[in-house]
Amino acid sequence: MPSLSSMSQSQDIHFDGLYAHELTVSRSEHVLLEDAELHLAPATITYLYGDNGTGKTSLMRCLTGLLQPDHGTVYWNEKPINHPESGYFQDLIFLAHSLSMKNELTIAENLTFYAQLRCGGSYNNKELQADISQVLTDLGIDGLEGRMFAELSAGQQHKVALARLMLEPAKIWLLDEPFVNLDQKTRRWLAAKTLEFKAQGGVVLFTSHHHIDELPVDQKVGVEHE
Amino acid sequence: MAKAWRWFHQLGSPKYLFQKTGQWLPWIWGVTLILLAVGLYYSLWASPLEARQGQGHTVRIMYVHVPAAALSMVGYIAMAIAAIVGLVWKMKMAFAVVRSIAPAGAAMTFLALFTGSVWGKPTWGTWWEWDARMTSELLLLFLYLGYIALHSSFSERSKADKASAILAIVGVINIPIIYFSVKWWNTLHQGYSVTQKGALAPEFQVPLFTMLAGMYLLFAALVIMRLRAEIILRNQKSRWVMEWATADTKKVTHD
Amino acid sequence: MISTLLKRELKVARRNWIGLAIPLLFFIIVVSLFPFAVSPEALMLQKLAPGVIWVAALLSMLLSLEQFYRSDYQDGSLEQLLLMSSPTSVAISKIFAHWLLTGLPLVILSPLLGLLMQINYGFEHINHTWVLMLSLMLGTPTLCLLGAVGMSLTLAANRNGLLVSILIIPLYVPVLIFGASTVTASLESLRYNGELAILGAFLMIAIVFAPFASGRALKISVG
Repeated sequence: MPSLSSMSQSQDIHFDGLYAHELTVSRSEHVLLEDAELHLAPATITYLYGDNGTGKTSLMRCLTGLLQPDHGTVYWNEKPINHPESGYFQDLIFLAHSLSMKNELTIAENLTFYAQLRCGGSYNNKELQADISQVLTDLGIDGLEGRMFAELSAGQQHKVALARLMLEPAKIWLLDEPFVNLDQKTRRWLAAKTLEFKAQGGVVLFTSHHHIDELPVDQKVGVEHE
Repeated sequence: MAKAWRWFHQLGSPKYLFQKTGQWLPWIWGVTLILLAVGLYYSLWASPLEARQGQGHTVRIMYVHVPAAALSMVGYIAMAIAAIVGLVWKMKMAFAVVRSIAPAGAAMTFLALFTGSVWGKPTWGTWWEWDARMTSELLLLFLYLGYIALHSSFSERSKADKASAILAIVGVINIPIIYFSVKWWNTLHQGYSVTQKGALAPEFQVPLFTMLAGMYLLFAALVIMRLRAEIILRNQKSRWVMEWATADTKKVTHD
Repeated sequence: MISTLLKRELKVARRNWIGLAIPLLFFIIVVSLFPFAVSPEALMLQKLAPGVIWVAALLSMLLSLEQFYRSDYQDGSLEQLLLMSSPTSVAISKIFAHWLLTGLPLVILSPLLGLLMQINYGFEHINHTWVLMLSLMLGTPTLCLLGAVGMSLTLAANRNGLLVSILIIPLYVPVLIFGASTVTASLESLRYNGELAILGAFLMIAIVFAPFASGRALKISVG
């Protein structure tokens, strides 16, 4: 069983993609990971598994840079993620448990906001609105662009959050429990889109409680406690 | 220089700090007690009464009030410095130091306010006067209590440490602003202050300086004791703390 | 980037206007209590006016702090913002939007309160209302900036609401002193430029430090 610390021990970082080196993470004085190594190569899909409370989410948040590790560095294309030249935050989409959408805004406004925040003014607004309609149609929630986010059902809200993956250009997806509460059709859609993203050289890491049949993975990483 | 740096880094190790402070503590307490005994003897019995302003015995309060007021300020500045060290050099022990200074500093601030009030009754004829210094001390007490309240509002200690460290730094930037604002406001409204002009007569200087030294050391001893408790609390799971704790109980059961 | 954030803030606020109206209503109601509690006599009210209006403005700003970062923190959009832009620019745009939505309305409403508190009673030519508005115009942004720091520090704390008030009220005191005394000086027919200048200086200091401190605190709260 591949564990987090089974990778190379070399000091020099010569890995494309995301590389976490000697990562030590703790929450409330509880050490979740110690000196872990993790490599997510371009064009691979990695499945991160583990029981509740083992620190899957903490590890993922560490990889986004939101959570400071106690020790260790995360590299993106051989540069520390906080290095201005790494361009990591331009390339990253992180979908967390919380859907990060405003109840007071419509679906289209929510999605437009994130797309504009990432791309600045370079996104043509008409194109963007067309793209949004297209993605919502693919997801089976077409015609809801003008509805307030709060008015949607939980399942529909989840789909809106996933729509971001199609609207913002990125090179790495970190997805925390993306398949939870999804119907069969949407699971298949997400799996297909993930494989498409991989084919374009994208890096994918996702967590899940159980195996996803629709999605063949290249690497399985377990977080567990002795 | 390199040696100083190494020492600085060693201080960042909880175990080293715990052992070193354990060695220092008896000495600090010893000197503190001697200085306070001598200082209190001089200030309460052997020093002359104040005649010039007709304060009589009340001048003796000064020997406690002045050191307490000085320490209340110094304590907050020390907290802010430790907070900067913690945030900039990511030194966890610095946060323990900040947390340890807070209660002692708050106590000194309260003591300064209390003695100031007792001093105020015969001097001003009232227990509380909105005097510039007293008002600043009151606001300083709120800053200390705010720090303690913020620090104890988190379930996760590392967040508590960092967030309240920022508060301490913001507070220290504000202390001079608060002080000068209050002083300006006070001259506008009262133009009445106890500030004594001119140097202190030598017969007052000896007890005052002894008390100052004694109170500084008392403050240091209190902070160090709290710091040792913090170190144990924060490193409960490390081996040396386990060994230290079990060794201690063994010794007790032996006796 | 900042304009995108700002537009979103204003849009959210427009749909949630009642939450912003409540602190303003509070501002008016608190001030209108004083004639009942003290005396409706015009000269008395005029003497109290600067302090009362300023304290009420300060409390109203404290009340509206709850809506500062809280909902963004709870629905997870704060961490998305921090991923996509620098913490300081998140803080700057939030603070600016918050001032536009809470501070500026206070400034605009203040003449009404000046009226209630008889601020121009007995003065035909000098407009104290104008001075009151100026002092609030310079003072409320500083209150917003300091409030942002307090709010971002307490986001991840277990108890909030009152906690943030305790942390920042001592920091508000200098602004309160100079804000209220600007108006008092004007009422006493004294020059008030100095006080206004100091309020401006406080604002400058706060603009330099507060967004940075708030940004750092946001990172800590989200982490």
